[in-house]
Amino acid sequence: MGNKQTIFTAQQLFDRYRDLAPQLVPLDYTNHPDVKLPYELIGSMPELKDNPFRQRIAEVFSEDGEGNMTLDDFLDMFSVLSEMAPRDLKASYAFKIYDFNNDDFICKSDLEKTLNRLTRNELTEDEVRMVCEKVIDEADLDNDGRLSLEDFQHMIVRAPDFLSTFHIRI
Amino acid sequence: MLLLGLTLLLTAAAAADLPDTGAPPLLGPGLGFSPSVSASASAPPLLLLPQPRPEYGAPGVALARSAAEEPAVPAEEEEGPHHHHGGGYRVVQWEWSYVQTPYIIAIWLLVASVAKILFHFSQRFTTVVPESCMLILLGLVLGGVVLIANKKQLYQLEPALFFLFLLPTIVGDAGYFMPARLFFDNLGAILTYAVVGTLWNAFCTGFCLYAAKLLGVIDERVQADLMDFLLFGALISAVDPVAVLAVFEEVHVNDTLFIIVFGESLVNDAVTVVLYKVYISFVEVGVENVQTADYFKGVASFLIVSIGGTLVGLVFAVILGFITRFTKKVRIIEPLFVFLMVYLAYLTAELFSLSAILSMTFCGIGANKYVEANISQKSRTTVKYTMKTLASIAETIIFIFLGISAVDKSKWAWDTGLVSCTLVFIFVFRAAGVIGQTWVLNRFRLVPLDKIDQVVMSYGGLRGAVAFALVVLLDGEQVKAKDYFVATTIVVVFFTVMFQGLTIKPLVDWLKVPRSTSRKPTINEEIHERAFDHILTAVEDIAGLQGYHHWRDKWEQFDKNYLSKLLLRKSVYRKSELWEAYQKINIRDAISVIDQGGNVLTSARLSLPSMASRASFPEVTNVTNYLRENGSGVCLDLQVIDNVPGAKVEEDTETHHVLAENLYKPRRRYQSHYSRHFMPLGEKERQDREVFQRNMKSRMETFKSTRHKRHKKERSLKKRRGSDAKEDGSDKPRRNVSWQDKNPVVVPVESEEEKGEHSDPEKEEDVGITFVARKAETPKQRPKSVPAALDGSPLASPSSPPSGDSHLPWKGSVGSPPPCVSVEANKIIPVDLQQAWNQSISSLESISSPPVPAEPVHPRVSALSRLGGPRPASYTPPGSTAGSTSSIGAQVLQGPFCFPERNKKEEEEEEEEGGAVQEMQPLMSSLRPPGSLMPPPAPPPPGSAPGQAGGGNPCVYLRSLVMAPSPGSGEPHSRGPTQL
Repeated sequence: MGNKQTIFTAQQLFDRYRDLAPQLVPLDYTNHPDVKLPYELIGSMPELKDNPFRQRIAEVFSEDGEGNMTLDDFLDMFSVLSEMAPRDLKASYAFKIYDFNNDDFICKSDLEKTLNRLTRNELTEDEVRMVCEKVIDEADLDNDGRLSLEDFQHMIVRAPDFLSTFHIRI
Repeated sequence: MLLLGLTLLLTAAAAADLPDTGAPPLLGPGLGFSPSVSASASAPPLLLLPQPRPEYGAPGVALARSAAEEPAVPAEEEEGPHHHHGGGYRVVQWEWSYVQTPYIIAIWLLVASVAKILFHFSQRFTTVVPESCMLILLGLVLGGVVLIANKKQLYQLEPALFFLFLLPTIVGDAGYFMPARLFFDNLGAILTYAVVGTLWNAFCTGFCLYAAKLLGVIDERVQADLMDFLLFGALISAVDPVAVLAVFEEVHVNDTLFIIVFGESLVNDAVTVVLYKVYISFVEVGVENVQTADYFKGVASFLIVSIGGTLVGLVFAVILGFITRFTKKVRIIEPLFVFLMVYLAYLTAELFSLSAILSMTFCGIGANKYVEANISQKSRTTVKYTMKTLASIAETIIFIFLGISAVDKSKWAWDTGLVSCTLVFIFVFRAAGVIGQTWVLNRFRLVPLDKIDQVVMSYGGLRGAVAFALVVLLDGEQVKAKDYFVATTIVVVFFTVMFQGLTIKPLVDWLKVPRSTSRKPTINEEIHERAFDHILTAVEDIAGLQGYHHWRDKWEQFDKNYLSKLLLRKSVYRKSELWEAYQKINIRDAISVIDQGGNVLTSARLSLPSMASRASFPEVTNVTNYLRENGSGVCLDLQVIDNVPGAKVEEDTETHHVLAENLYKPRRRYQSHYSRHFMPLGEKERQDREVFQRNMKSRMETFKSTRHKRHKKERSLKKRRGSDAKEDGSDKPRRNVSWQDKNPVVVPVESEEEKGEHSDPEKEEDVGITFVARKAETPKQRPKSVPAALDGSPLASPSSPPSGDSHLPWKGSVGSPPPCVSVEANKIIPVDLQQAWNQSISSLESISSPPVPAEPVHPRVSALSRLGGPRPASYTPPGSTAGSTSSIGAQVLQGPFCFPERNKKEEEEEEEEGGAVQEMQPLMSSLRPPGSLMPPPAPPPPGSAPGQAGGGNPCVYLRSLVMAPSPGSGEPHSRGPTQL
């Protein structure tokens, strides 16, 4: 997979990006570099209807944090998830996805949100709390009751084939 | 001795069989142990059960029959003189022919099991030599004995027995406990290797053998043409699941590698079955009569056999899930349904000549999730153990019989050319096939298989009993070279199982193949795995790809919306899988706490790969899970180091670590001794004990976190708030120990003391190093710990029935969630609500801590007795200054020491403590008062001079500990091993 294929992929991605909103994205992109796809467009894709993380992904990868994605953001997203991306980068983005309140720590409320999304709010509050405590407990190395990026990375390093699953083939 | 006796029995049985050979259909021992005369059935002999003889149609009437009918049976007459002692009523009779069949079977099972025991006597031996090799050797010996005794081989691996009984047990076990996700993640690779690889092997081996025959390498006597060789190639080329399991279980390669080889061995069954049948039919009609259409029929047949087999399996999986949904009232037969349906899936597939292995595997994989959720915890355990037992014994019998079958002169039609060519070809083509396919696969795989993986995969292409059974099934009339093929197959099987099985472990070591990462799957991983799935699906969807994640997501939706609703109980399906996983992990934690003491043998041998055989493990859910389980003990080391927070790594951490290591072993042994004695006690005691341990654990945890916080505070005042909150919370649990304590004077001393004592056995050795390191901190800690203890105690008295709120601090601690589940593990009450478990905990707690309410005046007694009595007695009294300093010293020592060891240590600790309490409680409560009144003659050094202890005189302290308990006769007995 040489250079060639990467370019080709980028072209494909651009097509895809444009397909999402042909009326907004001009074909000749160079003249309008700051076009953004509003989150509503991405979030309303039928495939993503059930996905609990759609908003979060858009927010994390978009520069403005609102979920409105430029082409650069769009490409960034795929770079992070590509096979070539270093593990730390992946880990930091995964961490960001979990970090709902953007305070650089995964705290209990973040985890509760994650859990509720994963379980579609089927657990009771107590159950969620218990699981969250267990999670924090398992990974919290400095015992401050929340997970820092270091905690998170450490946990992921311990599970060798963990991040290896965190990429897609484009 | 035992073995000898068994052998004698065996020969006796064989001798008794001897007369039968004249009339095989009538007196055949049945169940596959029939004399080899009747072995060459051309069609799979479906009738396995002993043909019911008319005379014995109703076995229940043995007594009545024995009196009158016996002489009337003419067939019995050559059984020996026993029947002809004379007329009239005989008090004792020889009823061999009546019990013969089950008797022989039972004897064989016994031989197999005893053989297993014997192999595991020598640990060093079993690490080097795989069990399968030993079993084959044993089979050879037994076969030799029978041969010498009878001049004729009576036993052999009967294909029908193998395919209908032995193989299903193994495949059923493998399928049911197959790590589904791993399997489907690698499904592409597995299918490729299984289908393309097997076809490649079969054709290449067949054609090349034919070429060798044409070239004259293979002797003229081997009368075989192209079809025969292709047939032989087909049956010899399939990797055998039994052999792969037996060998790979002991090698512990990483999960991916294992699942690929093992999955291939399961799935290639369809290919083998079809090829075998197609060739057989070709051989029957003759090559010249084969039309082009037949080849296409063959391809169609492959599709039908494989897809049909899979579908049958899935249908049965759905039925099984559906049935278990309604077994709430009849829990006792739940396991039976599992066995029956899985077995029926196998038989049904066999009935329609579909791929039975595929059917069974998919039935197991498909049903596992729903069944496990539906049936009770006990049923789960039953299913697990029974499956493992059956599979293990079936495997043993298969290998023994392989050995025995080899000792049969009538079978050995040796041709060096054929044998060596076959060996070379299967090896070369296996390697070539693997390399070629991997090259293609790696273009599509996210995680490519590297060269080492390929070597192991090539080398792990073991042939086994399936090939042997298939070759025995050949019709000697049509396949002229059958005897040669049989002999060659035996050699190939022996070579692969014994030589490759023996060398694969060194090879894996030498190549440094990544081993299975032995660790518990944490709840974190569960969550992140799931979250990653969602994220990736989302990204794939955004990119407009319909990739793997997309389909998996679709499947999960389908499963959630329809299947789960149909197959799961209402109460269960409401819960998400994450919650399930969480509970499972908790249950396992709880079980491991108990089992830790329970099976010292297991834990002591954890690191020995030879113990990996299915039978020997308490917590095996499947092979890979087993590997993980296995790690919980072994990997402790790593975890310990891992868990030390970077900021807090002290120089002495490693020293602690080393010390801790040294201290482990005696303790563990001690515990197990204790537990073995203790286990037979009733359910209730066990429960009490467990709850007690839970309490201890949570107390330990809170203590630790408190300790920890303090260090933190000293370091950074920033985090003061959070840690304070936690500290406050964590004091509450501690009051569980001293909650009856209304005497404020005692409080500081006692709580400290108690803290110190938690680390009891480790402390002695730690004294020197840690104390010095921390000495400066002691003044700071003092004020903090006292208020903590003080504000714990006033609150204490009302706390006996913990409400939901008072549990909060518990939950803040590490050990807190487990109590609920550990209770559940015993009581099998699905814990749906927090409230529910609160109640159960509180009720149990009141059961578990009777000593405290019983003696409200002596709270310390219970606390002290729990902690081993004698020492507190000796050094508490100094009290005011020295006592408190020393206990601070102890505390300081204990904190940093215990903290890194979180998981394991505390379990061990409370295991011991919990045990100790139970054992000593009565003793101590009576014993304590004199101790407190009159301190033992040797007051321990640390009490009088902490500096001295800190100066590194652990020996003195230790000795004092050992000597102190002289008043208590029971103490030295129980504490002694720990201390020394």
